[in-house]
Amino acid sequence: MSCARLPGPVVLVFLLLTGCQQQASPEPLKVYRHALDGVPSSLDPAHADDIYAATLVGNLYDTLYRYKYLARPHELTPNLAADFPQVSDDGLTYRIRLREDARFADDPAFPGGHGRAVTAEDVVYSLKRHFLAETRSRGDWLWRGRIVGLDPDTRLDTPDQPVAGLAAEDRSTVRIRLGAPYPQFAHTLAMALSAIVPREAVEHYGREFGVHPVGSGPFRLVHFDESRAVLEPNPHFRRGPIDLDAEGYDAELHHGYALEGVDGKAYPLLDRLEIHFIPEPTGRWTSFISGSGVDFVMVPPELSERVLVGREPPMFSREMRQRYHSRHAVEAGFAFYGFNMANPAIGHNPDPRRAQRNRALRCAMRDAFDWDSRNRSFHHGLGHIFPGAIPPLLPDFDARLSGDSTAHRPERARQRLADADWSPDRLPELVYGMEASVHQRQMFEQFRSWMDAIGYPAGKLSARTFASFGEYARAIGNRRLDIFLLGWTLAYPDAQYSLQLFYGPNAAPGANSFNYANEDFDRLFELAATLPPGPERTRLYRQLNEMVIDDCVLIGSISRTRLYLWKRHVRMLPDTEMGNGEFLRFVDVIEGSAE
Amino acid sequence: MMPGEVRQTLRRRLPPASTAIVTAYLLTAAGVWLGWWGSDWAAIAGPGRVGPSVEHWLGTNLVGQDIFTRLLAGTARAFEIGLVVAIPSTVLGAVIGGLAGYFPNRWPDGVLMWLTGTLDAIPFYLFVIALSYALQDQPGAMQLAMIATFWTLTARLIRAETMRLRQLDFVTAARVSGVGTWRMIGRHILPHTTHILLVQSSIVFVAAIKAEVVLSFLGLGLQHSVSWGMMIAEASQEILAGHYMNFICASLALLILVLAVNHLTDRLQRRLDPRTRAETVKRMG
Amino acid sequence: MSHGRFGRLLLRSTLGILPLLLGVTLISFSLTVHFGPDQTWEMLGRNPTPEQVASVRQQLGYDRPFVVRYADYLVRLGRFDLGYSQASGEPVLALLGRTLPVSVALLAPGFVLGIGLALALALGASWRPGGFIGRLCSATSAVGMSLSLVIVVIALQALFAVWLDWFPVRGWAVDGPASYLRHVAIPTLALIAAQLGYSLRFFHAVVQATLNDAPVRTARALGLPRRRILTRYVLRAALLPILTRIVFAMPLVLISGSLIIESHFGVPGLGRVTWEAINSGDQPVLMAVVSLSAVLFVLALGFADLLGRLVDPRIRPT
Repeated sequence: MSCARLPGPVVLVFLLLTGCQQQASPEPLKVYRHALDGVPSSLDPAHADDIYAATLVGNLYDTLYRYKYLARPHELTPNLAADFPQVSDDGLTYRIRLREDARFADDPAFPGGHGRAVTAEDVVYSLKRHFLAETRSRGDWLWRGRIVGLDPDTRLDTPDQPVAGLAAEDRSTVRIRLGAPYPQFAHTLAMALSAIVPREAVEHYGREFGVHPVGSGPFRLVHFDESRAVLEPNPHFRRGPIDLDAEGYDAELHHGYALEGVDGKAYPLLDRLEIHFIPEPTGRWTSFISGSGVDFVMVPPELSERVLVGREPPMFSREMRQRYHSRHAVEAGFAFYGFNMANPAIGHNPDPRRAQRNRALRCAMRDAFDWDSRNRSFHHGLGHIFPGAIPPLLPDFDARLSGDSTAHRPERARQRLADADWSPDRLPELVYGMEASVHQRQMFEQFRSWMDAIGYPAGKLSARTFASFGEYARAIGNRRLDIFLLGWTLAYPDAQYSLQLFYGPNAAPGANSFNYANEDFDRLFELAATLPPGPERTRLYRQLNEMVIDDCVLIGSISRTRLYLWKRHVRMLPDTEMGNGEFLRFVDVIEGSAE
Repeated sequence: MMPGEVRQTLRRRLPPASTAIVTAYLLTAAGVWLGWWGSDWAAIAGPGRVGPSVEHWLGTNLVGQDIFTRLLAGTARAFEIGLVVAIPSTVLGAVIGGLAGYFPNRWPDGVLMWLTGTLDAIPFYLFVIALSYALQDQPGAMQLAMIATFWTLTARLIRAETMRLRQLDFVTAARVSGVGTWRMIGRHILPHTTHILLVQSSIVFVAAIKAEVVLSFLGLGLQHSVSWGMMIAEASQEILAGHYMNFICASLALLILVLAVNHLTDRLQRRLDPRTRAETVKRMG
Repeated sequence: MSHGRFGRLLLRSTLGILPLLLGVTLISFSLTVHFGPDQTWEMLGRNPTPEQVASVRQQLGYDRPFVVRYADYLVRLGRFDLGYSQASGEPVLALLGRTLPVSVALLAPGFVLGIGLALALALGASWRPGGFIGRLCSATSAVGMSLSLVIVVIALQALFAVWLDWFPVRGWAVDGPASYLRHVAIPTLALIAAQLGYSLRFFHAVVQATLNDAPVRTARALGLPRRRILTRYVLRAALLPILTRIVFAMPLVLISGSLIIESHFGVPGLGRVTWEAINSGDQPVLMAVVSLSAVLFVLALGFADLLGRLVDPRIRPT
């Protein structure tokens, strides 16, 4: 490959001397160029809690389980595990058998430089690692207090310290004991945070492990910087063949994407995978449109007018459908405005009369919010507005739930304020927090104008800007903001993940940014979280959702529709929402038709 | 040059077009300060992304705010930033430069030049951002940071000029007659640097406005108001969708004002600086 | 100049640098570390406990007193131990080694071409004072100084993104001279457009000033050929201020100019990394960049000072 770059005579000399003749007529490389709209900072699985890092980690490392390529709603399937876990009758003990043929990639960290087989000890180590202080894990909360021996205040000093509920029974079996039923446990073992890492590499690279990944996944890392990552197949990864039916192939749904061609082939199919990090919408689009840029784009909402001819449901124009493959899917997450219930001026209050009045105020502000207008101006009509915190992606989503809480009703808002004795001079002064960006400022101005329209004086709503998301998160964590806009992405398809946002013990600095403290909610939540999926659990989830809507804890919510376009010579069904970019290992490039 | 000479030079004909433009902008800003126009720049005045029409002369932006009103408000902000930064930084530079130049190579000079060099060595945007964080939410963090960095060039120029002036006879005479340091600098030396100060302050005026554009683009600009920089920043994404109005209007407004001020500064400098008077060169021709 | 005097000069210049470096690092350190963004929350997971918050803070060193942290930083700087990036774990020295060449490769063509163009125009204006080129210089510099880099960058992207498709508008997938030229075209244009006005104005003024100097006037009075006046008198007299100006502009363009261009063009260079570090509060990276900028600036200062003393016989050493 490098021969082609050298000038003329040198190439000849090189060919003669180094025997590059076999590359004189090279096979065309199968290259796929993917585009992500963000930049991962670290490739250490313990830090991979955003979709960008997860996409890379998911392809460089193995997780015990992964999601099926095509089945929707998402379904788990064994990955590093040989089959589904053997769960005891009380749901407390999991036995997971590993496959025999998984091997880490070659790396100088191993003796002799050869990657070795993955064992159950590696799984135990990878999980224990989250509880060492120097790991600075972002995923330990998934298992803390769940696995026996990893209590909320447990601190491991070395990875050799024994943990009662986490052990390797033999070379390829892991036994995990939980303190209480945890139906979502297998899902947590499909998250990039749980990926299996070799101890040798962690100790060899130390702090640099985040830029020197060593995994047993389908790819290995060749190059990584702020603008792109280049991956090549891991020669030790031999799984497959691809069984499309097992992955959820449906001839009707998946017609037209030419996926049949990959059935029965070993994967990964690519020779080279380039993942470009392009946060700017302009850059992403132009790179895709030009001949030599990326092969895939998540269409920026600003450009939706150019590619769509209809919005309900989204319909791509004929030109787009002819030139490219296209798809639309709702995001695995949602955005909402939250109130700080810990502020007695607007949230929980020991005086029941004041608490009622506060609730009326919150509900009035919610009525004054115009989701349709927000959807039009900032999401270009691509947002799916729904009440509460169970987004449309989930099977527990209740399509029949009343849209009353998301309707724009300024007169009802005024009525609420009047009935609860809120005159403009008695209204509390609230702090609205936002990140420093032009859009955020415009959203704030829009919000303030709606509040002004129902009699909430603009002067009482002050804005605080934060230069970075970290600073913003800190202010929320320190309970300094009264109204804030947040997004929450779902790591697995279970409403427990979003309803935990209101669970009392998760109060700030935890995920419960609302600092919602409702004992009835907590009780029901604990009950629902231990039930297996089924109608009983769905009923409880919906009840919890309605509690939250009723109490006006949030103004919510909106899920955005994603628009995908990719070039015709690429055979794939992309999913940038749930999971860890598993689809990338199944991508195939039809040779000879690349531009 | 003494202030009197400066006034005399200024009385001669200044380029008409540039003067008219700057005056027009200044009057616009004055109107905003007096509240005659441009006050409701934040109001959602109509549907988003409307083109130029009778109600909205330049159309509306993404959220539905009137672009023309925002442009007017931005004019006032531009002058505010420019003046708030130019005047203090020029004064600061004059004082520091005068003091350093009056005691060349002694300890005040050493310390002040060390301070100048230090501030010059810190990258400008890092300094502004860091200062914004340090001052948390206070308005004026950006202006303060600009003042703290823009005085250095003025100080260096004034220092060089002071060093030259203090060797002249009239200064020696005043020193011999027992005039104190501060009076010396303030009443005998600095007035002769008026031409430098005038030119420098207009250079800093322009630099401050331009720096604000970059800072707004990076997300660090004015917090509670609208400026051309913010309009350009919001427009940078709208352009993709084919809405150019915001970008073109704000850019043109900025370009024309800066061009006019630069032109005036250029003419002023050539007239006031004894070494590059246009006549001298022409006579060589 | 005798060896002894030169040696003393060098020693004095070197000693003069130290207080400057100290001052820069102290001010930057206080601003970025003491008052800067707290990186703790960037590093925490989604559902942290107060104990975890405290633990991460302690690991990042926020609990130690300022003096201790500053002294530690100076000691490690002396050993060239720049630490590790908090976000990715990459050694900062490796990070600089990776990003600095990219920034230089990105900005060098624009810088060099801009300076070259400005110089050519300024000298051409002195060929016939008051002539067409002179007026062109004034007009170009006036317009050039009024252009904002941000506006130029956005306009060029809109032009090449919305209408034409000649060059990539972002990215740095460079693996050969051809792709390098394609990627560097628009940043070069943007940089020239933004810098030309100022450089041209300065060079033009310097050249005009030398035209009034005694040697040049004498040469003209003697009727020497114009080309000779230009090369032997004008250029020589103008060389020092021009060189000084170029030397000072380099660190400025590299550190500040790269911030805007790289973040907008998505180039993985020093400016982009600095911007990320500023936003997340990644102190080791920030302090390394500031130190680098200080060193570059101080070197430029020292070099210009040395140059001045060497070249100009009129400046007597005090």
